[in-house]
Amino acid sequence: MLVAFSVMVVSFSVLRLTPGDPALAILGDSATLADIEALREKLGLNGSAFTQFIDYAMPLFRGDFGSSIVTDQPVLDLVGASLPVTLQLITLTMVMALTIAVLLAVPAAKYRFGVFGLFFRIGTSMSLSVPVFFSGQLLILLAAIRWDLLPAGGYQAGFPGNIQYLLLPALTACGPLVPILVRVLQSSVIDTMGQAFVETAQVRGLAGPRLVWRYLLRPSLAPTIALSSYIVGSLFGTAVVLELVYNLPGIGTRLLAAVFSRDYPVVQGIVLVMGILVVLVNLVADLLSGWLDPRARAVS
Amino acid sequence: MQARFGLAITLLMVLSSLMVPLLSPYSATGLIGAPLESPGSEYWFGTDNLGRDVFTRTFAAGRVTISLAVVGVLVPLVVGTLLGAMIGTTRSKVVAGFWAALIDGINAFPLIVLIIAIVAVLGPGVTGILFAILMTNWARYARIARARALIVNKAEYIQALQLLGYSRPRIIFRHVVPNTYTETRAYALSDFVIIVITVAGLSFLGLGVRPPDPEWGAMMSEGRLFLRQAWWMIAFPGLALSLTATGVALLVDSRTGGKPIRVGQSEPTVAI
Repeated sequence: MLVAFSVMVVSFSVLRLTPGDPALAILGDSATLADIEALREKLGLNGSAFTQFIDYAMPLFRGDFGSSIVTDQPVLDLVGASLPVTLQLITLTMVMALTIAVLLAVPAAKYRFGVFGLFFRIGTSMSLSVPVFFSGQLLILLAAIRWDLLPAGGYQAGFPGNIQYLLLPALTACGPLVPILVRVLQSSVIDTMGQAFVETAQVRGLAGPRLVWRYLLRPSLAPTIALSSYIVGSLFGTAVVLELVYNLPGIGTRLLAAVFSRDYPVVQGIVLVMGILVVLVNLVADLLSGWLDPRARAVS
Repeated sequence: MQARFGLAITLLMVLSSLMVPLLSPYSATGLIGAPLESPGSEYWFGTDNLGRDVFTRTFAAGRVTISLAVVGVLVPLVVGTLLGAMIGTTRSKVVAGFWAALIDGINAFPLIVLIIAIVAVLGPGVTGILFAILMTNWARYARIARARALIVNKAEYIQALQLLGYSRPRIIFRHVVPNTYTETRAYALSDFVIIVITVAGLSFLGLGVRPPDPEWGAMMSEGRLFLRQAWWMIAFPGLALSLTATGVALLVDSRTGGKPIRVGQSEPTVAI
């Protein structure tokens, strides 16, 4: 709750604390004083910092995020039209990344020494360091242009037809995520492997998928879930870049367009929506780890 | 093993960024040949859509990207370390609470989103992105430093110093800051990987360094339009950026011994 409030304050401050007059920046040097004054009023930049904040915060609770100064559309309408694309992209990315990570983590924990381990570590450092706007274009070059498997960009709404447009962007986003997820999950699995209850289960004759899921993976998931919630948050940032590379009409594309047309209410609204979503995701993650690991529930 | 390998790659990229533009027969911004010439013996990395030498441009761009990233790491490192030490040791609940809320508020956003919002007000350009990075990135260091300072502040030797009547600045600078600094310094290296990619990413979005100035992200954003005809316009700046980041990431990996990032204690290393 406190973080949600801080998020609101930060997105409020961005426009105010940054040097330069937004109204002047929009209108240019040739504007008259009266025009500037009118726009300042419209942007909510008049009055003391406190009254400005009240004027900014109160409509938010009624669900009024302001409206675009370019097209006059309410910000929430713009967000509602573009957010589903981004959310589907993020969901698909997380499903793919977590599936691969869960499949790789147990082998990575078992064979962590030797050549495999070394290659794994070097591979992790490398894939962390390749930016998605590079790997994404390489993927377009190979998968879309050379082999013609999937569309190189663009979007058509409607599940499941839109999956083909989201597959390459999601795969690109997985690049740096999978190694981090595997690393964190691997180290928790190593910890769990040393626990007495795993040994007990093995002595009782448990083996195979049941042992791996119930006794190795399930108690090891809490750090991975905490990390996943951080990753989902950072994916909103990644989405801005990916949507440009793959030409997707998501919230990142909307944000960039608003930045270039100096449409401050839209920029501010989108930034706030993203901040709130991140806070919500963290909340869900906390609840989820409690459900998965009874020990965490007992503590809290 | 990793450490030497990483250091070698990093040094190679830094040195060649410094040397190649001086030694190359072509200038980084001069139109020296036919447009979209494939890589060959004349132009090692080919030429771009305007007939500029991609080889020279790639390394000239390295200077810009790397130095922007260094500033974007060092200033927040200093500011965050000091601020975190002060916030962690202050006795005023109001001050501590205010700063903690501000730090959490800033860190709740994906870094690049907040930077984009600030650039929206400042206007695109080098000063815009640098200022935006400085305004947001300190909060990550401050969070780490604050967490450490809170622990140190409870230690007996600090209490002893307080009883001896040492002044607060002296305690902070001589005894708390060295402790918080070891933590933030360790993070700075992995932060460099994030920031170097963020700088290039912002230019790729058209918010940072603008063409015709060479910068890795800006070059790739020009190359995006010629992806089908001239893969080398994207591939070489992209490779240079990835190599630089990999070199530093290997250094980080050797320091942490390949251990995973501790969630909640320090920042996970996810760039855009």
